[in-house]
Amino acid sequence: MLKIKKNIAISDSGFVFDPGTGDSYSLNPTGLEIVQMIKSGKSFEEIFQDFATKYEVEEEAFEKYYYDFTTTLKQLRLTEPNGED
Amino acid sequence: MTKLIFERPIIQRINAGLPSKYGMAHKLEPISHIDNVSIKSLMDSYGSPLFIISESTIRKTYKNAFRAFSSRYPKVQFAWSYKTNYLNAVCNVFHQEGSWAEVVSGFEYDKAIANGVPGELIIFNGPDKSRQDLEKAIKNGSLIHIDHFDELYEIISLSKEIEERPKVAIRVNMDTGIYPRWDRFGFNYENGEAWDALNRIMANKKLDLLGLHTHIGTYMMSTDAYKIAATKLASLAVRLEQKHGHVLQYIDMGGGFASKNTLRGAYYPGTDTTPSFDDFAEAITSAFMSSEIKPDNLPLLILENGRALIDDAGYLAGTVLANKRLADGRRATIIDAGVNILFTAFWYEHDIRPVEPVSEQTEDTTIYGPLCMNIDVIRGNVMFPLLKKGDHYVIRRVGAYNNTQWLQFISMRPNVVMIDSKGEPHLIRKNETLETINSQELTPEHLKNFDL
Repeated sequence: MLKIKKNIAISDSGFVFDPGTGDSYSLNPTGLEIVQMIKSGKSFEEIFQDFATKYEVEEEAFEKYYYDFTTTLKQLRLTEPNGED
Repeated sequence: MTKLIFERPIIQRINAGLPSKYGMAHKLEPISHIDNVSIKSLMDSYGSPLFIISESTIRKTYKNAFRAFSSRYPKVQFAWSYKTNYLNAVCNVFHQEGSWAEVVSGFEYDKAIANGVPGELIIFNGPDKSRQDLEKAIKNGSLIHIDHFDELYEIISLSKEIEERPKVAIRVNMDTGIYPRWDRFGFNYENGEAWDALNRIMANKKLDLLGLHTHIGTYMMSTDAYKIAATKLASLAVRLEQKHGHVLQYIDMGGGFASKNTLRGAYYPGTDTTPSFDDFAEAITSAFMSSEIKPDNLPLLILENGRALIDDAGYLAGTVLANKRLADGRRATIIDAGVNILFTAFWYEHDIRPVEPVSEQTEDTTIYGPLCMNIDVIRGNVMFPLLKKGDHYVIRRVGAYNNTQWLQFISMRPNVVMIDSKGEPHLIRKNETLETINSQELTPEHLKNFDL
Protein backbone atom coordinates (compact mmCIF):
# COMPACT_ATOMS: atom_id res chain seq x y z
CA MET A 1 0.00 0.00 0.00
CA LEU A 2 1.12 3.50 -0.80
CA LYS A 3 1.71 5.47 2.38
CA ILE A 4 2.13 9.19 2.92
CA LYS A 5 5.07 9.96 5.22
CA LYS A 6 3.91 10.39 8.81
CA ASN A 7 5.65 13.73 9.35
CA ILE A 8 3.98 15.43 6.36
CA ALA A 9 1.48 18.07 7.52
CA ILE A 10 -1.62 18.43 5.38
CA SER A 11 -4.21 21.14 6.08
CA ASP A 12 -7.90 20.93 5.20
CA SER A 13 -7.40 23.57 2.50
CA GLY A 14 -4.78 21.52 0.64
CA PHE A 15 -1.62 23.12 2.02
CA VAL A 16 1.16 20.56 2.44
CA PHE A 17 4.33 21.04 4.50
CA ASP A 18 7.32 18.72 4.49
CA PRO A 19 9.37 19.42 7.67
CA GLY A 20 12.17 17.19 6.34
CA THR A 21 12.99 19.55 3.47
CA GLY A 22 11.16 22.73 4.44
CA ASP A 23 9.26 22.59 1.13
CA SER A 24 5.59 23.43 0.99
CA TYR A 25 3.07 22.42 -1.65
CA SER A 26 -0.52 23.04 -2.60
CA LEU A 27 -3.03 20.41 -3.63
CA ASN A 28 -6.10 21.02 -5.75
CA PRO A 29 -9.40 19.72 -4.26
CA THR A 30 -9.27 16.32 -6.02
CA GLY A 31 -5.60 15.95 -5.11
CA LEU A 32 -6.43 16.69 -1.47
CA GLU A 33 -9.22 14.11 -1.42
CA ILE A 34 -6.94 11.43 -2.84
CA VAL A 35 -4.16 12.21 -0.35
CA GLN A 36 -6.61 12.07 2.54
CA MET A 37 -7.98 8.74 1.32
CA ILE A 38 -4.46 7.32 0.93
CA LYS A 39 -3.68 8.50 4.48
CA SER A 40 -6.77 6.73 5.78
CA GLY A 41 -5.47 3.52 4.22
CA LYS A 42 -7.85 3.16 1.28
CA SER A 43 -6.82 1.12 -1.75
CA PHE A 44 -7.01 2.35 -5.35
CA GLU A 45 -10.26 0.44 -5.88
CA GLU A 46 -11.88 2.00 -2.80
CA ILE A 47 -10.69 5.46 -3.79
CA PHE A 48 -12.08 5.02 -7.32
CA GLN A 49 -15.44 3.85 -5.92
CA ASP A 50 -15.68 7.00 -3.79
CA PHE A 51 -14.75 9.22 -6.76
CA ALA A 52 -17.11 7.47 -9.17
CA THR A 53 -20.00 8.15 -6.79
CA LYS A 54 -19.17 11.82 -6.46
CA TYR A 55 -17.62 12.78 -9.83
CA GLU A 56 -18.29 12.30 -13.51
CA VAL A 57 -15.27 10.12 -14.27
CA GLU A 58 -14.57 6.82 -16.03
CA GLU A 59 -12.30 4.25 -14.37
CA GLU A 60 -9.73 4.36 -17.20
CA ALA A 61 -9.41 8.13 -17.03
CA PHE A 62 -9.29 8.08 -13.25
CA GLU A 63 -6.62 5.38 -13.17
CA LYS A 64 -4.47 7.38 -15.60
CA TYR A 65 -4.65 10.56 -13.56
CA TYR A 66 -4.38 8.71 -10.20
CA TYR A 67 -1.09 7.03 -11.11
CA ASP A 68 0.30 10.21 -12.65
CA PHE A 69 -0.52 11.99 -9.39
CA THR A 70 0.90 9.35 -7.08
CA THR A 71 4.07 9.20 -9.20
CA THR A 72 4.47 12.91 -8.57
CA LEU A 73 3.98 12.36 -4.83
CA LYS A 74 6.79 9.79 -4.95
CA GLN A 75 9.04 12.11 -6.98
CA LEU A 76 8.50 14.80 -4.37
CA ARG A 77 9.42 12.24 -1.67
CA LEU A 78 6.16 12.69 0.17
CA THR A 79 5.55 8.93 0.36
CA GLU A 80 7.26 6.24 2.43
CA PRO A 81 10.15 4.76 0.38
CA ASN A 82 8.97 1.22 1.05
CA GLY A 83 5.34 2.07 1.34
CA GLU A 84 4.24 -0.15 -1.51
CA ASP A 85 3.55 -3.86 -1.65
CA MET B 1 -27.90 13.67 -7.84
CA THR B 2 -25.78 15.42 -10.49
CA LYS B 3 -22.17 14.39 -10.34
CA LEU B 4 -19.40 16.96 -10.10
CA ILE B 5 -16.95 17.67 -12.94
CA PHE B 6 -13.74 15.74 -12.32
CA GLU B 7 -10.55 17.76 -12.36
CA ARG B 8 -7.31 15.84 -12.56
CA PRO B 9 -5.44 15.83 -9.21
CA ILE B 10 -2.28 17.91 -8.94
CA ILE B 11 0.29 18.93 -6.34
CA GLN B 12 2.54 21.91 -6.88
CA ARG B 13 5.55 23.22 -5.01
CA ILE B 14 5.03 26.67 -3.55
CA ASN B 15 7.91 28.95 -4.43
CA ALA B 16 8.31 31.75 -1.93
CA GLY B 17 9.19 35.09 -3.46
CA LEU B 18 7.83 34.17 -6.89
CA PRO B 19 5.13 36.84 -7.14
CA SER B 20 6.47 40.09 -8.55
CA LYS B 21 5.06 43.53 -7.92
CA TYR B 22 2.49 42.65 -10.59
CA GLY B 23 1.05 39.94 -8.34
CA MET B 24 0.33 36.28 -8.89
CA ALA B 25 -0.48 34.90 -12.31
CA HIS B 26 -4.12 35.49 -13.06
CA LYS B 27 -6.58 32.86 -14.11
CA LEU B 28 -6.83 32.30 -17.86
CA GLU B 29 -10.48 33.03 -18.56
CA PRO B 30 -12.04 30.57 -21.00
CA ILE B 31 -13.21 31.78 -24.41
CA SER B 32 -16.23 29.72 -25.40
CA HIS B 33 -17.68 31.92 -28.15
CA ILE B 34 -16.41 34.11 -30.98
CA ASP B 35 -18.92 36.72 -32.15
CA ASN B 36 -21.59 34.83 -30.16
CA VAL B 37 -20.88 31.59 -32.06
CA SER B 38 -19.92 28.58 -29.94
CA ILE B 39 -16.35 27.46 -30.70
CA LYS B 40 -17.29 23.89 -29.75
CA SER B 41 -20.17 23.85 -32.27
CA LEU B 42 -17.85 25.16 -35.00
CA MET B 43 -15.38 22.35 -34.31
CA ASP B 44 -18.24 19.81 -34.33
CA SER B 45 -19.15 21.02 -37.83
CA TYR B 46 -15.76 21.80 -39.34
CA GLY B 47 -13.29 19.64 -37.44
CA SER B 48 -10.35 20.21 -35.15
CA PRO B 49 -8.05 22.08 -35.34
CA LEU B 50 -9.88 24.94 -37.02
CA PHE B 51 -8.97 28.48 -37.99
CA ILE B 52 -11.79 30.90 -37.22
CA ILE B 53 -11.79 34.44 -38.63
CA SER B 54 -14.11 37.16 -37.38
CA GLU B 55 -15.30 39.40 -40.21
CA SER B 56 -16.68 42.00 -37.82
CA THR B 57 -13.31 42.24 -36.02
CA ILE B 58 -11.55 42.88 -39.37
CA ARG B 59 -14.02 45.63 -40.25
CA LYS B 60 -13.87 47.19 -36.78
CA THR B 61 -10.05 47.18 -36.75
CA TYR B 62 -9.88 48.61 -40.27
CA LYS B 63 -12.27 51.44 -39.43
CA ASN B 64 -10.38 52.21 -36.25
CA ALA B 65 -7.03 52.38 -38.09
CA PHE B 66 -8.40 54.38 -41.03
CA ARG B 67 -10.08 56.89 -38.71
CA ALA B 68 -6.77 57.42 -36.89
CA PHE B 69 -5.13 58.57 -40.15
CA SER B 70 -8.04 60.22 -41.98
CA SER B 71 -8.85 62.40 -38.98
CA ARG B 72 -5.30 63.80 -39.08
CA TYR B 73 -4.46 63.96 -42.79
CA PRO B 74 -6.55 64.94 -45.83
CA LYS B 75 -5.68 62.11 -48.25
CA VAL B 76 -5.27 58.56 -46.94
CA GLN B 77 -5.40 55.21 -48.72
CA PHE B 78 -4.89 51.70 -47.32
CA ALA B 79 -3.60 48.84 -49.45
CA TRP B 80 -4.14 45.32 -48.14
CA SER B 81 -0.87 43.42 -47.70
CA TYR B 82 -1.64 40.15 -49.48
CA LYS B 83 1.28 38.24 -47.96
CA THR B 84 -0.14 38.71 -44.46
CA ASN B 85 -3.28 36.78 -45.31
CA TYR B 86 -4.30 36.17 -48.90
CA LEU B 87 -7.35 34.03 -48.34
CA ASN B 88 -9.72 35.52 -50.91
CA ALA B 89 -12.54 36.06 -48.41
CA VAL B 90 -10.18 38.00 -46.12
CA CYS B 91 -8.82 40.12 -49.00
CA ASN B 92 -12.33 40.93 -50.17
CA VAL B 93 -13.41 42.16 -46.73
CA PHE B 94 -10.54 44.66 -46.95
CA HIS B 95 -11.40 45.55 -50.56
CA GLN B 96 -15.04 46.12 -49.52
CA GLU B 97 -13.76 48.48 -46.85
CA GLY B 98 -11.84 50.41 -49.53
CA SER B 99 -8.36 48.88 -49.49
CA TRP B 100 -6.30 48.62 -52.64
CA ALA B 101 -4.08 45.52 -53.01
CA GLU B 102 -0.37 45.40 -52.11
CA VAL B 103 1.36 42.38 -53.62
CA VAL B 104 4.93 41.09 -53.66
CA SER B 105 4.95 38.39 -56.35
CA GLY B 106 3.43 37.50 -59.68
CA PHE B 107 1.27 34.92 -57.89
CA GLU B 108 -0.12 37.50 -55.46
CA TYR B 109 -0.60 39.94 -58.34
CA ASP B 110 -2.71 37.40 -60.24
CA LYS B 111 -4.65 36.65 -57.05
CA ALA B 112 -5.56 40.32 -56.65
CA ILE B 113 -6.63 40.56 -60.32
CA ALA B 114 -8.71 37.37 -59.90
CA ASN B 115 -10.36 38.92 -56.84
CA GLY B 116 -11.47 41.76 -59.09
CA VAL B 117 -9.08 44.50 -57.96
CA PRO B 118 -8.57 46.98 -60.87
CA GLY B 119 -4.98 46.84 -62.12
CA GLU B 120 -4.37 50.53 -61.42
CA LEU B 121 -5.20 49.95 -57.73
CA ILE B 122 -2.57 47.26 -57.24
CA ILE B 123 0.76 48.18 -55.68
CA PHE B 124 3.49 45.82 -56.85
CA ASN B 125 6.29 45.58 -54.26
CA GLY B 126 8.94 42.99 -53.62
CA PRO B 127 12.37 42.15 -55.05
CA ASP B 128 11.06 39.42 -57.38
CA LYS B 129 9.17 40.71 -60.43
CA SER B 130 9.79 38.79 -63.66
CA ARG B 131 9.82 40.53 -67.04
CA GLN B 132 6.39 38.97 -67.71
CA ASP B 133 5.09 40.25 -64.33
CA LEU B 134 6.37 43.75 -65.10
CA GLU B 135 4.90 43.73 -68.59
CA LYS B 136 1.49 42.76 -67.20
CA ALA B 137 1.70 45.38 -64.45
CA ILE B 138 2.67 48.13 -66.93
CA LYS B 139 -0.19 47.24 -69.28
CA ASN B 140 -2.64 47.22 -66.34
CA GLY B 141 -1.43 50.61 -65.12
CA SER B 142 -0.39 49.15 -61.74
CA LEU B 143 1.90 51.02 -59.36
CA ILE B 144 5.32 49.38 -59.63
CA HIS B 145 7.60 49.99 -56.66
CA ILE B 146 11.13 49.58 -57.97
CA ASP B 147 13.43 47.61 -55.69
CA HIS B 148 16.81 47.75 -57.47
CA PHE B 149 18.56 49.16 -60.55
CA ASP B 150 18.24 45.87 -62.46
CA GLU B 151 14.48 46.23 -62.16
CA LEU B 152 14.59 49.91 -63.13
CA TYR B 153 16.46 49.09 -66.34
CA GLU B 154 14.13 46.16 -67.08
CA ILE B 155 11.21 48.61 -66.87
CA ILE B 156 13.03 51.14 -69.04
CA SER B 157 13.67 48.37 -71.57
CA LEU B 158 9.99 47.34 -71.50
CA SER B 159 8.85 50.94 -71.85
CA LYS B 160 10.38 50.97 -75.34
CA GLU B 161 8.21 47.99 -76.38
CA ILE B 162 4.93 48.83 -74.65
CA GLU B 163 2.72 51.79 -75.42
CA GLU B 164 1.57 52.37 -71.85
CA ARG B 165 3.84 54.51 -69.70
CA PRO B 166 4.98 52.58 -66.60
CA LYS B 167 3.72 54.11 -63.34
CA VAL B 168 6.51 53.76 -60.84
CA ALA B 169 7.72 54.66 -57.39
CA ILE B 170 11.03 53.78 -55.80
CA ARG B 171 11.47 51.87 -52.60
CA VAL B 172 13.74 53.71 -50.16
CA ASN B 173 15.55 52.22 -47.16
CA MET B 174 17.12 54.37 -44.49
CA ASP B 175 18.39 54.70 -40.96
CA THR B 176 15.37 55.34 -38.76
CA GLY B 177 17.22 54.82 -35.50
CA ILE B 178 16.11 51.24 -35.02
CA TYR B 179 17.95 47.95 -34.86
CA PRO B 180 18.08 45.85 -36.97
CA ARG B 181 18.23 48.42 -39.75
CA TRP B 182 16.46 47.15 -42.81
CA ASP B 183 18.51 47.97 -45.87
CA ARG B 184 17.61 45.20 -48.27
CA PHE B 185 14.50 46.74 -49.81
CA GLY B 186 14.99 49.46 -52.37
CA PHE B 187 17.60 52.19 -52.60
CA ASN B 188 19.45 53.66 -49.66
CA TYR B 189 18.66 57.20 -48.56
CA GLU B 190 21.83 58.09 -46.67
CA ASN B 191 24.36 57.03 -49.32
CA GLY B 192 22.52 58.94 -52.04
CA GLU B 193 21.41 55.91 -54.05
CA ALA B 194 17.73 56.78 -53.70
CA TRP B 195 18.32 60.32 -54.97
CA ASP B 196 20.39 58.89 -57.83
CA ALA B 197 17.56 56.49 -58.79
CA LEU B 198 15.03 59.34 -58.76
CA ASN B 199 17.25 61.45 -61.03
CA ARG B 200 17.71 58.58 -63.47
CA ILE B 201 13.93 58.07 -63.67
CA MET B 202 13.34 61.78 -64.22
CA ALA B 203 16.03 61.86 -66.91
CA ASN B 204 14.54 58.91 -68.75
CA LYS B 205 11.19 60.61 -69.44
CA LYS B 206 9.47 57.35 -70.39
CA LEU B 207 8.41 56.52 -66.84
CA ASP B 208 5.75 58.25 -64.75
CA LEU B 209 7.26 58.75 -61.30
CA LEU B 210 4.25 58.84 -59.00
CA GLY B 211 5.56 58.19 -55.53
CA LEU B 212 8.01 57.05 -52.89
CA HIS B 213 7.78 53.95 -50.77
CA THR B 214 9.48 52.58 -47.69
CA HIS B 215 9.20 49.47 -45.58
CA ILE B 216 11.24 50.21 -42.49
CA GLY B 217 10.67 47.01 -40.53
CA THR B 218 8.19 44.61 -39.04
CA TYR B 219 6.49 44.43 -35.63
CA MET B 220 7.62 48.01 -35.01
CA MET B 221 7.20 49.12 -31.41
CA SER B 222 8.56 52.60 -32.03
CA THR B 223 6.51 55.37 -33.62
CA ASP B 224 9.59 57.61 -33.78
CA ALA B 225 11.06 55.44 -36.54
CA TYR B 226 8.04 56.24 -38.72
CA LYS B 227 8.40 59.92 -37.99
CA ILE B 228 12.04 59.83 -39.09
CA ALA B 229 11.15 57.84 -42.22
CA ALA B 230 8.30 60.20 -43.14
CA THR B 231 10.58 63.21 -42.65
CA LYS B 232 13.28 61.74 -44.91
CA LEU B 233 10.82 60.80 -47.65
CA ALA B 234 9.22 64.27 -47.45
CA SER B 235 12.68 65.80 -47.95
CA LEU B 236 13.15 63.71 -51.12
CA ALA B 237 9.76 64.90 -52.38
CA VAL B 238 10.76 68.52 -51.74
CA ARG B 239 14.10 68.09 -53.55
CA LEU B 240 12.32 66.55 -56.55
CA GLU B 241 10.03 69.55 -56.78
CA GLN B 242 12.91 71.98 -56.39
CA LYS B 243 15.15 70.34 -58.98
CA HIS B 244 12.68 68.92 -61.52
CA GLY B 245 9.47 70.80 -60.73
CA HIS B 246 7.94 67.36 -60.27
CA VAL B 247 5.18 66.90 -57.69
CA LEU B 248 4.77 63.39 -56.32
CA GLN B 249 1.26 62.00 -56.08
CA TYR B 250 1.80 59.73 -53.11
CA ILE B 251 4.12 58.59 -50.34
CA ASP B 252 3.69 55.01 -49.22
CA MET B 253 4.84 54.38 -45.64
CA GLY B 254 4.58 50.60 -45.95
CA GLY B 255 3.41 48.54 -43.02
CA GLY B 256 5.05 46.97 -40.00
CA PHE B 257 2.88 48.23 -37.16
CA ALA B 258 3.05 45.79 -34.24
CA SER B 259 -0.04 43.82 -33.27
CA LYS B 260 -1.02 43.14 -29.66
CA ASN B 261 0.68 39.75 -29.58
CA THR B 262 3.49 39.34 -27.05
CA LEU B 263 6.95 38.66 -28.46
CA ARG B 264 8.83 35.71 -26.97
CA GLY B 265 10.97 36.87 -24.10
CA ALA B 266 9.16 40.21 -23.73
CA TYR B 267 8.70 41.29 -20.10
CA TYR B 268 5.45 43.15 -20.62
CA PRO B 269 2.50 41.80 -22.62
CA GLY B 270 1.94 43.20 -26.12
CA THR B 271 -1.46 44.51 -25.06
CA ASP B 272 0.38 46.97 -22.77
CA THR B 273 3.29 47.93 -25.00
CA THR B 274 2.01 48.11 -28.58
CA PRO B 275 1.49 51.69 -29.80
CA SER B 276 -2.07 52.46 -30.90
CA PHE B 277 -3.06 53.37 -34.46
CA ASP B 278 -3.43 56.94 -33.21
CA ASP B 279 0.19 56.91 -32.00
CA PHE B 280 1.48 55.73 -35.40
CA ALA B 281 -0.82 58.13 -37.25
CA GLU B 282 0.29 61.08 -35.17
CA ALA B 283 3.98 60.34 -35.83
CA ILE B 284 3.58 59.93 -39.60
CA THR B 285 1.08 62.70 -40.37
CA SER B 286 2.77 65.28 -38.17
CA ALA B 287 6.03 64.68 -40.07
CA PHE B 288 4.29 65.36 -43.39
CA MET B 289 2.31 68.34 -42.15
CA SER B 290 5.40 70.00 -40.70
CA SER B 291 7.62 69.23 -43.72
CA GLU B 292 8.53 71.70 -46.45
CA ILE B 293 5.99 70.13 -48.83
CA LYS B 294 3.61 72.88 -50.02
CA PRO B 295 0.12 72.40 -48.54
CA ASP B 296 -1.46 72.15 -52.01
CA ASN B 297 1.03 69.44 -52.97
CA LEU B 298 0.59 67.18 -49.95
CA PRO B 299 0.84 63.65 -51.35
CA LEU B 300 -1.68 60.86 -50.85
CA LEU B 301 -0.56 58.89 -47.80
CA ILE B 302 -0.64 55.15 -48.49
CA LEU B 303 -0.31 52.51 -45.77
CA GLU B 304 0.18 48.80 -46.34
CA ASN B 305 -0.46 47.44 -42.89
CA GLY B 306 -1.18 43.75 -42.60
CA ARG B 307 -0.39 42.30 -39.18
CA ALA B 308 -1.98 45.06 -37.10
CA LEU B 309 -5.20 44.88 -39.14
CA ILE B 310 -5.78 41.12 -39.19
CA ASP B 311 -4.04 39.51 -36.19
CA ASP B 312 -6.89 40.12 -33.73
CA ALA B 313 -9.50 38.69 -36.11
CA GLY B 314 -7.92 35.22 -36.31
CA TYR B 315 -8.34 32.35 -33.84
CA LEU B 316 -7.05 28.79 -33.90
CA ALA B 317 -9.25 26.34 -31.97
CA GLY B 318 -8.50 22.70 -31.32
CA THR B 319 -8.38 19.73 -29.00
CA VAL B 320 -6.01 18.44 -26.32
CA LEU B 321 -4.50 15.14 -27.48
CA ALA B 322 -2.65 14.08 -24.33
CA ASN B 323 -0.93 15.08 -21.13
CA LYS B 324 2.40 13.79 -19.94
CA ARG B 325 5.07 14.61 -17.41
CA LEU B 326 8.53 15.81 -18.39
CA ALA B 327 11.79 14.64 -16.82
CA ASP B 328 11.88 17.62 -14.45
CA GLY B 329 8.33 16.98 -13.27
CA ARG B 330 6.72 19.75 -15.32
CA ARG B 331 3.52 19.12 -17.20
CA ALA B 332 3.46 18.71 -20.98
CA THR B 333 0.21 19.11 -22.82
CA ILE B 334 0.02 17.98 -26.45
CA ILE B 335 -2.49 19.75 -28.67
CA ASP B 336 -3.58 19.05 -32.23
CA ALA B 337 -2.14 22.25 -33.77
CA GLY B 338 1.57 22.34 -34.49
CA VAL B 339 4.06 24.96 -35.61
CA ASN B 340 3.44 23.89 -39.21
CA ILE B 341 0.06 25.65 -39.09
CA LEU B 342 0.93 28.13 -36.33
CA PHE B 343 4.17 29.49 -37.71
CA THR B 344 3.95 32.58 -35.48
CA ALA B 345 4.52 30.38 -32.39
CA PHE B 346 8.23 30.71 -33.24
CA TRP B 347 8.22 34.39 -32.25
CA TYR B 348 5.08 34.98 -30.15
CA GLU B 349 3.98 33.85 -26.71
CA HIS B 350 0.50 33.21 -28.01
CA ASP B 351 -2.47 33.77 -25.75
CA ILE B 352 -3.92 30.26 -25.45
CA ARG B 353 -7.15 29.77 -23.50
CA PRO B 354 -9.44 26.93 -22.53
CA VAL B 355 -12.81 26.76 -24.29
CA GLU B 356 -14.69 24.98 -21.49
CA PRO B 357 -14.99 26.33 -17.91
CA VAL B 358 -11.97 25.52 -15.72
CA SER B 359 -11.11 25.83 -12.05
CA GLU B 360 -8.64 28.30 -10.56
CA GLN B 361 -5.94 25.60 -10.62
CA THR B 362 -3.05 25.97 -13.05
CA GLU B 363 0.16 24.07 -13.61
CA ASP B 364 3.51 25.04 -15.08
CA THR B 365 3.01 23.59 -18.54
CA THR B 366 4.82 23.24 -21.85
CA ILE B 367 2.37 23.07 -24.73
CA TYR B 368 3.52 20.92 -27.63
CA GLY B 369 2.01 20.48 -31.06
CA PRO B 370 1.33 17.03 -32.56
CA LEU B 371 4.38 16.87 -34.85
CA CYS B 372 7.11 14.31 -34.27
CA MET B 373 9.63 17.15 -34.09
CA ASN B 374 11.36 18.53 -31.02
CA ILE B 375 10.86 22.11 -32.24
CA ASP B 376 7.07 21.77 -32.23
CA VAL B 377 6.50 23.92 -29.15
CA ILE B 378 3.48 26.20 -29.04
CA ARG B 379 4.21 27.66 -25.57
CA GLY B 380 7.46 26.89 -23.79
CA ASN B 381 6.31 27.85 -20.33
CA VAL B 382 2.83 28.85 -19.30
CA MET B 383 0.74 28.54 -16.15
CA PHE B 384 -2.06 26.62 -17.79
CA PRO B 385 -5.36 25.19 -16.53
CA LEU B 386 -5.64 21.43 -16.04
CA LEU B 387 -7.03 20.46 -19.41
CA LYS B 388 -7.64 16.78 -20.07
CA LYS B 389 -7.53 14.73 -23.27
CA GLY B 390 -10.47 15.81 -25.41
CA ASP B 391 -10.82 19.26 -23.83
CA HIS B 392 -10.65 22.23 -26.18
CA TYR B 393 -8.43 25.27 -26.44
CA VAL B 394 -8.42 28.42 -28.52
CA ILE B 395 -5.39 30.53 -29.47
CA ARG B 396 -5.95 34.26 -29.99
CA ARG B 397 -4.44 36.69 -32.50
CA VAL B 398 -3.34 34.28 -35.20
CA GLY B 399 -4.79 36.15 -38.20
CA ALA B 400 -1.47 37.39 -39.58
CA TYR B 401 0.96 35.23 -41.57
CA ASN B 402 -0.29 31.83 -40.41
CA ASN B 403 -2.64 31.24 -43.35
CA THR B 404 0.14 32.20 -45.78
CA GLN B 405 3.26 30.73 -44.16
CA TRP B 406 1.68 27.48 -43.00
CA LEU B 407 3.14 24.21 -44.21
CA GLN B 408 1.66 20.92 -45.21
CA PHE B 409 4.02 18.92 -43.02
CA ILE B 410 3.27 15.57 -41.34
CA SER B 411 -0.38 16.56 -41.07
CA MET B 412 -2.78 18.43 -43.33
CA ARG B 413 -3.77 22.08 -43.20
CA PRO B 414 -7.22 22.39 -41.59
CA ASN B 415 -10.44 24.15 -42.54
CA VAL B 416 -10.72 27.91 -42.22
CA VAL B 417 -14.13 29.42 -41.42
CA MET B 418 -15.14 33.04 -41.34
CA ILE B 419 -17.95 34.24 -39.09
CA ASP B 420 -19.79 36.98 -40.95
CA SER B 421 -21.11 40.15 -39.38
CA LYS B 422 -24.46 38.44 -38.69
CA GLY B 423 -22.84 35.53 -36.85
CA GLU B 424 -23.12 33.03 -39.72
CA PRO B 425 -20.08 30.79 -40.24
CA HIS B 426 -18.78 30.24 -43.79
CA LEU B 427 -16.15 27.74 -44.86
CA ILE B 428 -13.58 29.89 -46.72
CA ARG B 429 -10.80 27.34 -47.25
CA LYS B 430 -11.25 23.59 -47.31
CA ASN B 431 -8.96 21.31 -45.36
CA GLU B 432 -6.42 19.32 -47.32
CA THR B 433 -6.73 15.57 -47.80
CA LEU B 434 -4.41 12.85 -49.03
CA GLU B 435 -5.93 13.42 -52.48
CA THR B 436 -4.94 17.11 -52.39
CA ILE B 437 -1.32 16.16 -51.84
CA ASN B 438 -1.22 13.14 -54.13
CA SER B 439 -2.89 15.02 -56.97
CA GLN B 440 0.30 17.07 -57.36
CA GLU B 441 2.61 14.04 -57.46
CA LEU B 442 3.68 11.94 -60.43
CA THR B 443 5.14 8.47 -59.88
CA PRO B 444 7.27 7.10 -62.73
CA GLU B 445 5.89 3.87 -64.24
CA HIS B 446 8.81 1.71 -62.98
CA LEU B 447 8.19 2.86 -59.39
CA LYS B 448 4.49 2.13 -59.26
CA ASN B 449 4.76 -1.45 -57.98
CA PHE B 450 6.85 -3.30 -55.46
CA ASP B 451 6.96 -6.66 -53.73
CA LEU B 452 7.69 -6.83 -50.04
